[in-house]
Amino acid sequence: MKILVVDDFSTMRRIVRNLLVELGFSNPLIQEADDGENAIAMLRAQPFDLVVTDWNMPNMTGIDLLKAIRAEASLKGLPVLMVTAENNRDQIIAAAQAGVNGYIVKPFTAVTLKEKLTKIFERIAAGGVTA
Amino acid sequence: MTAAPALAMDENLPTELRALLNSPGGAEFEQALDAIVRQREQHMFRALGQLARDLHDAVRRLGTDLAQEGFPGNAADARRYLQDALEMSANAAHRTIDFAERMRPQAESLTINAAEMLKWTQGNEPAAVLARESVMFADSCREGLAELVVAQSWQDLTGQRIKKVDGFIGSVESTLLELVRLTGALAGSDVPASVAKVSSQEEADRLLSEFGF
Repeated sequence: MKILVVDDFSTMRRIVRNLLVELGFSNPLIQEADDGENAIAMLRAQPFDLVVTDWNMPNMTGIDLLKAIRAEASLKGLPVLMVTAENNRDQIIAAAQAGVNGYIVKPFTAVTLKEKLTKIFERIAAGGVTA
Repeated sequence: MTAAPALAMDENLPTELRALLNSPGGAEFEQALDAIVRQREQHMFRALGQLARDLHDAVRRLGTDLAQEGFPGNAADARRYLQDALEMSANAAHRTIDFAERMRPQAESLTINAAEMLKWTQGNEPAAVLARESVMFADSCREGLAELVVAQSWQDLTGQRIKKVDGFIGSVESTLLELVRLTGALAGSDVPASVAKVSSQEEADRLLSEFGF
Protein backbone atom coordinates (compact mmCIF):
# COMPACT_ATOMS: atom_id res chain seq x y z
CA MET A 1 0.00 0.00 0.00
CA LYS A 2 1.43 3.36 -1.09
CA ILE A 3 0.99 6.11 1.50
CA LEU A 4 1.74 9.85 1.25
CA VAL A 5 2.48 11.60 4.56
CA VAL A 6 2.04 15.40 4.35
CA ASP A 7 3.33 17.70 7.14
CA ASP A 8 5.55 20.79 7.21
CA PHE A 9 7.38 19.44 10.31
CA SER A 10 9.91 16.78 9.38
CA THR A 11 9.72 15.31 12.90
CA MET A 12 5.98 14.70 12.55
CA ARG A 13 6.45 13.07 9.13
CA ARG A 14 8.98 10.70 10.68
CA ILE A 15 6.70 9.96 13.63
CA VAL A 16 3.77 9.08 11.35
CA ARG A 17 6.09 7.02 9.13
CA ASN A 18 7.40 5.12 12.17
CA LEU A 19 3.89 4.41 13.39
CA LEU A 20 2.78 3.20 9.98
CA VAL A 21 5.80 0.87 9.82
CA GLU A 22 5.00 -0.30 13.35
CA LEU A 23 1.47 -1.11 12.14
CA GLY A 24 2.92 -3.26 9.37
CA PHE A 25 2.98 -0.91 6.37
CA SER A 26 6.02 -1.10 4.12
CA ASN A 27 8.58 1.64 4.82
CA PRO A 28 9.79 2.06 1.21
CA LEU A 29 6.19 2.56 0.04
CA ILE A 30 5.71 5.55 2.35
CA GLN A 31 6.50 8.92 0.78
CA GLU A 32 6.55 12.42 2.24
CA ALA A 33 5.57 15.97 1.21
CA ASP A 34 6.07 19.14 3.23
CA ASP A 35 2.95 21.01 2.10
CA GLY A 36 -0.29 20.60 0.16
CA GLU A 37 1.14 21.99 -3.07
CA ASN A 38 3.95 19.44 -3.23
CA ALA A 39 1.54 16.73 -2.15
CA ILE A 40 -0.97 17.38 -4.95
CA ALA A 41 1.89 17.38 -7.48
CA MET A 42 3.07 13.98 -6.19
CA LEU A 43 -0.48 12.60 -6.19
CA ARG A 44 -0.93 13.63 -9.83
CA ALA A 45 2.42 12.09 -10.79
CA GLN A 46 1.95 8.63 -9.27
CA PRO A 47 -0.79 6.49 -7.73
CA PHE A 48 -1.24 6.43 -3.93
CA ASP A 49 -3.64 4.42 -1.77
CA LEU A 50 -3.82 6.72 1.26
CA VAL A 51 -2.98 10.30 2.28
CA VAL A 52 -2.18 11.21 5.89
CA THR A 53 -2.09 15.00 6.17
CA ASP A 54 -1.58 17.80 8.67
CA TRP A 55 -3.89 20.87 8.57
CA ASN A 56 -1.59 23.86 9.22
CA MET A 57 0.98 24.09 6.46
CA PRO A 58 2.42 26.92 4.35
CA ASN A 59 1.42 27.40 0.68
CA MET A 60 -1.46 24.92 0.71
CA THR A 61 -3.15 23.78 3.92
CA GLY A 62 -4.43 20.30 4.62
CA ILE A 63 -8.08 21.29 4.15
CA ASP A 64 -7.27 22.86 0.77
CA LEU A 65 -5.36 19.73 -0.19
CA LEU A 66 -8.40 17.64 0.77
CA LYS A 67 -10.68 19.87 -1.34
CA ALA A 68 -8.25 19.71 -4.26
CA ILE A 69 -8.20 15.91 -4.04
CA ARG A 70 -12.01 15.67 -3.96
CA ALA A 71 -12.26 18.11 -6.89
CA GLU A 72 -10.00 16.07 -9.15
CA ALA A 73 -11.64 13.19 -11.02
CA SER A 74 -8.61 10.88 -10.88
CA LEU A 75 -8.04 11.48 -7.14
CA LYS A 76 -11.47 12.04 -5.62
CA GLY A 77 -11.83 8.51 -4.24
CA LEU A 78 -8.48 8.62 -2.42
CA PRO A 79 -8.83 8.06 1.35
CA VAL A 80 -7.55 11.04 3.37
CA LEU A 81 -6.75 10.90 7.09
CA MET A 82 -6.25 14.23 8.78
CA VAL A 83 -3.78 14.37 11.67
CA THR A 84 -3.83 17.81 13.22
CA ALA A 85 -3.53 19.97 16.33
CA GLU A 86 -6.69 21.80 15.18
CA ASN A 87 -9.46 20.52 17.37
CA ASN A 88 -12.17 23.15 17.20
CA ARG A 89 -15.64 22.09 16.20
CA ASP A 90 -15.91 24.25 13.07
CA GLN A 91 -12.70 22.86 11.62
CA ILE A 92 -13.73 19.27 12.25
CA ILE A 93 -17.08 19.99 10.58
CA ALA A 94 -15.33 21.70 7.66
CA ALA A 95 -13.10 18.64 7.20
CA ALA A 96 -16.10 16.31 7.36
CA GLN A 97 -18.00 18.40 4.82
CA ALA A 98 -14.98 18.39 2.52
CA GLY A 99 -15.06 14.58 2.63
CA VAL A 100 -12.33 13.57 5.05
CA ASN A 101 -12.16 9.85 5.87
CA GLY A 102 -10.73 10.17 9.37
CA TYR A 103 -9.65 12.89 11.80
CA ILE A 104 -6.98 12.48 14.48
CA VAL A 105 -6.17 15.22 17.00
CA LYS A 106 -2.50 15.60 18.01
CA PRO A 107 -0.96 14.42 20.22
CA PHE A 108 -2.14 10.93 19.41
CA THR A 109 -1.04 7.36 20.05
CA ALA A 110 -0.26 4.40 17.81
CA VAL A 111 -3.49 2.81 19.05
CA THR A 112 -5.58 5.78 17.83
CA LEU A 113 -3.84 5.76 14.45
CA LYS A 114 -4.45 2.04 14.10
CA GLU A 115 -8.14 2.40 15.04
CA LYS A 116 -8.74 5.16 12.50
CA LEU A 117 -6.87 3.37 9.72
CA THR A 118 -8.75 0.14 10.39
CA LYS A 119 -12.05 2.05 10.27
CA ILE A 120 -11.11 3.74 6.99
CA PHE A 121 -10.18 0.46 5.31
CA GLU A 122 -13.27 -1.31 6.68
CA ARG A 123 -15.48 1.42 5.21
CA ILE A 124 -13.70 1.26 1.88
CA ALA A 125 -14.07 -2.53 1.83
CA ALA A 126 -17.78 -2.11 2.60
CA GLY A 127 -18.14 0.19 -0.40
CA GLY A 128 -18.35 3.56 1.34
CA VAL A 129 -15.65 6.14 0.96
CA THR A 130 -16.05 9.13 3.25
CA ALA A 131 -16.37 9.33 7.04
CA MET B 1 -45.41 91.39 33.34
CA THR B 2 -44.43 90.16 36.73
CA ALA B 3 -41.10 88.45 37.34
CA ALA B 4 -41.30 84.68 37.25
CA PRO B 5 -41.21 83.12 40.68
CA ALA B 6 -37.90 81.58 41.62
CA LEU B 7 -38.18 77.83 40.92
CA ALA B 8 -35.15 76.70 42.77
CA MET B 9 -34.03 78.46 45.85
CA ASP B 10 -32.19 75.48 47.29
CA GLU B 11 -28.76 76.79 48.25
CA ASN B 12 -27.27 73.32 47.80
CA LEU B 13 -27.90 73.28 44.04
CA PRO B 14 -24.97 74.29 41.79
CA THR B 15 -25.01 77.94 40.81
CA GLU B 16 -25.36 77.14 37.08
CA LEU B 17 -28.41 74.98 37.71
CA ARG B 18 -30.04 77.62 39.89
CA ALA B 19 -29.36 80.23 37.21
CA LEU B 20 -30.99 77.93 34.66
CA LEU B 21 -34.03 77.20 36.76
CA ASN B 22 -34.45 80.82 37.85
CA SER B 23 -33.88 82.36 34.41
CA PRO B 24 -36.60 84.98 33.95
CA GLY B 25 -36.87 84.74 30.14
CA GLY B 26 -35.99 82.69 27.03
CA ALA B 27 -32.72 84.50 26.35
CA GLU B 28 -31.52 84.08 29.93
CA PHE B 29 -32.57 80.41 29.89
CA GLU B 30 -30.59 79.80 26.67
CA GLN B 31 -27.61 81.56 28.18
CA ALA B 32 -27.74 79.49 31.36
CA LEU B 33 -28.16 76.27 29.37
CA ASP B 34 -25.21 77.20 27.16
CA ALA B 35 -23.10 77.79 30.26
CA ILE B 36 -23.89 74.31 31.57
CA VAL B 37 -23.25 72.59 28.20
CA ARG B 38 -20.00 74.53 27.74
CA GLN B 39 -18.83 73.47 31.17
CA ARG B 40 -19.54 69.84 30.35
CA GLU B 41 -17.79 70.10 27.00
CA GLN B 42 -14.75 71.63 28.63
CA HIS B 43 -14.45 68.62 30.97
CA MET B 44 -14.62 66.28 27.99
CA PHE B 45 -12.18 68.28 25.89
CA ARG B 46 -9.77 68.48 28.80
CA ALA B 47 -9.91 64.67 29.19
CA LEU B 48 -9.48 64.19 25.44
CA GLY B 49 -6.62 66.65 25.44
CA GLN B 50 -4.89 64.76 28.23
CA LEU B 51 -5.33 61.50 26.35
CA ALA B 52 -3.95 62.99 23.16
CA ARG B 53 -0.94 64.39 25.01
CA ASP B 54 -0.28 61.07 26.78
CA LEU B 55 -0.45 59.23 23.47
CA HIS B 56 1.81 61.78 21.86
CA ASP B 57 4.37 61.47 24.68
CA ALA B 58 4.23 57.67 24.59
CA VAL B 59 4.79 57.58 20.84
CA ARG B 60 7.58 60.14 21.10
CA ARG B 61 9.28 58.06 23.83
CA LEU B 62 8.83 54.92 21.74
CA GLY B 63 10.36 56.67 18.76
CA THR B 64 13.37 57.75 20.83
CA ASP B 65 13.77 54.21 22.22
CA LEU B 66 13.55 52.72 18.78
CA ALA B 67 16.11 55.14 17.45
CA GLN B 68 18.51 54.61 20.37
CA GLU B 69 18.15 50.91 21.07
CA GLY B 70 17.34 49.70 17.62
CA PHE B 71 14.09 47.84 18.12
CA PRO B 72 14.24 46.34 14.64
CA GLY B 73 17.57 44.78 15.63
CA ASN B 74 16.16 43.48 18.91
CA ALA B 75 13.09 42.06 17.22
CA ALA B 76 15.27 40.38 14.60
CA ASP B 77 17.38 38.90 17.42
CA ALA B 78 14.25 37.66 19.23
CA ARG B 79 12.98 36.05 16.04
CA ARG B 80 16.37 34.47 15.40
CA TYR B 81 16.39 33.03 18.95
CA LEU B 82 12.99 31.51 18.28
CA GLN B 83 14.23 30.04 14.99
CA ASP B 84 17.25 28.63 16.86
CA ALA B 85 14.97 27.09 19.48
CA LEU B 86 12.83 25.58 16.71
CA GLU B 87 15.86 24.13 14.97
CA MET B 88 17.44 22.80 18.17
CA SER B 89 14.20 21.15 19.26
CA ALA B 90 13.80 19.57 15.80
CA ASN B 91 17.39 18.26 15.95
CA ALA B 92 16.81 16.84 19.44
CA ALA B 93 13.60 15.10 18.32
CA HIS B 94 15.34 13.69 15.22
CA ARG B 95 18.21 12.36 17.33
CA THR B 96 15.74 10.58 19.57
CA ILE B 97 13.92 9.08 16.58
CA ASP B 98 17.32 8.06 15.10
CA PHE B 99 17.99 6.19 18.32
CA ALA B 100 14.61 4.45 18.22
CA GLU B 101 15.04 3.50 14.56
CA ARG B 102 18.49 2.05 15.32
CA MET B 103 17.28 0.04 18.29
CA ARG B 104 14.09 -1.36 16.80
CA PRO B 105 15.72 -3.84 14.36
CA GLN B 106 17.94 -5.02 17.24
CA ALA B 107 14.89 -5.67 19.40
CA GLU B 108 13.21 -7.46 16.47
CA SER B 109 16.22 -9.71 15.87
CA LEU B 110 16.43 -10.48 19.60
CA THR B 111 12.78 -11.63 19.45
CA ILE B 112 13.51 -13.85 16.42
CA ASN B 113 16.71 -15.31 17.86
CA ALA B 114 15.14 -15.99 21.25
CA ALA B 115 12.12 -17.64 19.59
CA GLU B 116 14.51 -19.77 17.53
CA MET B 117 16.37 -20.78 20.69
CA LEU B 118 13.11 -21.84 22.33
CA LYS B 119 12.74 -24.52 19.65
CA TRP B 120 15.85 -26.23 21.03
CA THR B 121 15.43 -25.73 24.72
CA GLN B 122 12.48 -25.98 27.05
CA GLY B 123 11.19 -26.09 30.63
CA ASN B 124 13.43 -24.66 33.31
CA GLU B 125 16.67 -25.10 31.44
CA PRO B 126 18.72 -21.91 31.91
CA ALA B 127 18.78 -21.27 28.15
CA ALA B 128 14.98 -21.56 27.95
CA VAL B 129 14.48 -19.17 30.88
CA LEU B 130 16.89 -16.69 29.31
CA ALA B 131 15.20 -17.01 25.91
CA ARG B 132 11.73 -16.37 27.38
CA GLU B 133 13.03 -13.35 29.30
CA SER B 134 14.68 -12.11 26.13
CA VAL B 135 11.40 -12.31 24.19
CA MET B 136 9.61 -10.36 26.91
CA PHE B 137 12.38 -7.79 27.09
CA ALA B 138 12.51 -7.35 23.30
CA ASP B 139 8.73 -6.93 23.14
CA SER B 140 8.66 -4.28 25.85
CA CYS B 141 11.60 -2.55 24.14
CA ARG B 142 9.69 -2.36 20.85
CA GLU B 143 6.66 -1.03 22.63
CA GLY B 144 8.71 1.55 24.55
CA LEU B 145 10.59 2.63 21.42
CA ALA B 146 7.30 3.19 19.57
CA GLU B 147 6.03 5.32 22.44
CA LEU B 148 9.33 7.21 22.53
CA VAL B 149 8.86 8.10 18.85
CA VAL B 150 5.25 9.23 19.34
CA ALA B 151 6.31 11.31 22.36
CA GLN B 152 8.48 13.39 20.02
CA SER B 153 5.32 15.02 18.70
CA TRP B 154 5.97 17.64 21.41
CA GLN B 155 8.38 19.18 18.89
CA ASP B 156 5.61 19.67 16.35
CA LEU B 157 3.17 21.06 18.92
CA THR B 158 5.67 23.46 20.52
CA GLY B 159 7.11 24.32 17.11
CA GLN B 160 3.72 25.45 15.83
CA ARG B 161 3.40 27.78 18.82
CA ILE B 162 6.92 29.12 18.30
CA LYS B 163 6.00 29.89 14.68
CA LYS B 164 2.90 31.76 15.85
CA VAL B 165 4.93 33.85 18.35
CA ASP B 166 7.46 34.55 15.59
CA GLY B 167 4.67 35.81 13.33
CA PHE B 168 3.27 37.90 16.18
CA ILE B 169 6.64 39.58 16.82
CA GLY B 170 6.88 40.32 13.12
CA SER B 171 3.47 42.01 13.09
CA VAL B 172 4.20 43.99 16.31
CA GLU B 173 7.47 45.11 14.78
CA SER B 174 5.90 46.38 11.58
CA THR B 175 2.95 47.97 13.42
CA LEU B 176 5.25 49.86 15.81
CA LEU B 177 7.45 51.06 12.99
CA GLU B 178 4.40 52.20 11.07
CA LEU B 179 3.12 54.05 14.16
CA VAL B 180 6.43 55.81 14.60
CA ARG B 181 6.63 56.58 10.91
CA LEU B 182 3.15 58.08 10.97
CA THR B 183 3.83 60.31 13.95
CA GLY B 184 7.14 61.39 12.52
CA ALA B 185 8.78 60.69 15.86
CA LEU B 186 11.83 59.32 14.10
CA ALA B 187 12.13 62.35 11.85
CA GLY B 188 15.80 63.10 11.51
CA SER B 189 18.11 64.51 8.95
CA ASP B 190 18.08 61.32 6.89
CA VAL B 191 14.34 60.70 6.99
CA PRO B 192 12.74 60.97 3.57
CA ALA B 193 10.50 63.99 3.07
CA SER B 194 7.46 61.76 2.56
CA VAL B 195 8.00 60.21 6.00
CA ALA B 196 8.60 63.45 7.91
CA LYS B 197 4.95 64.40 8.19
CA VAL B 198 5.24 66.19 11.52
CA SER B 199 2.75 68.82 10.45
CA SER B 200 -0.27 66.73 11.44
CA GLN B 201 0.98 66.44 15.02
CA GLU B 202 1.86 70.12 15.11
CA GLU B 203 -1.56 70.91 13.76
CA ALA B 204 -3.10 68.72 16.39
CA ASP B 205 -1.08 70.46 19.09
CA ARG B 206 -2.07 73.87 17.76
CA LEU B 207 -5.68 72.84 17.62
CA LEU B 208 -5.51 71.54 21.18
CA SER B 209 -3.85 74.71 22.39
CA GLU B 210 -6.72 76.68 20.88
CA PHE B 211 -8.96 74.81 23.27
CA GLY B 212 -6.68 75.84 26.09
CA PHE B 213 -4.64 72.61 26.59
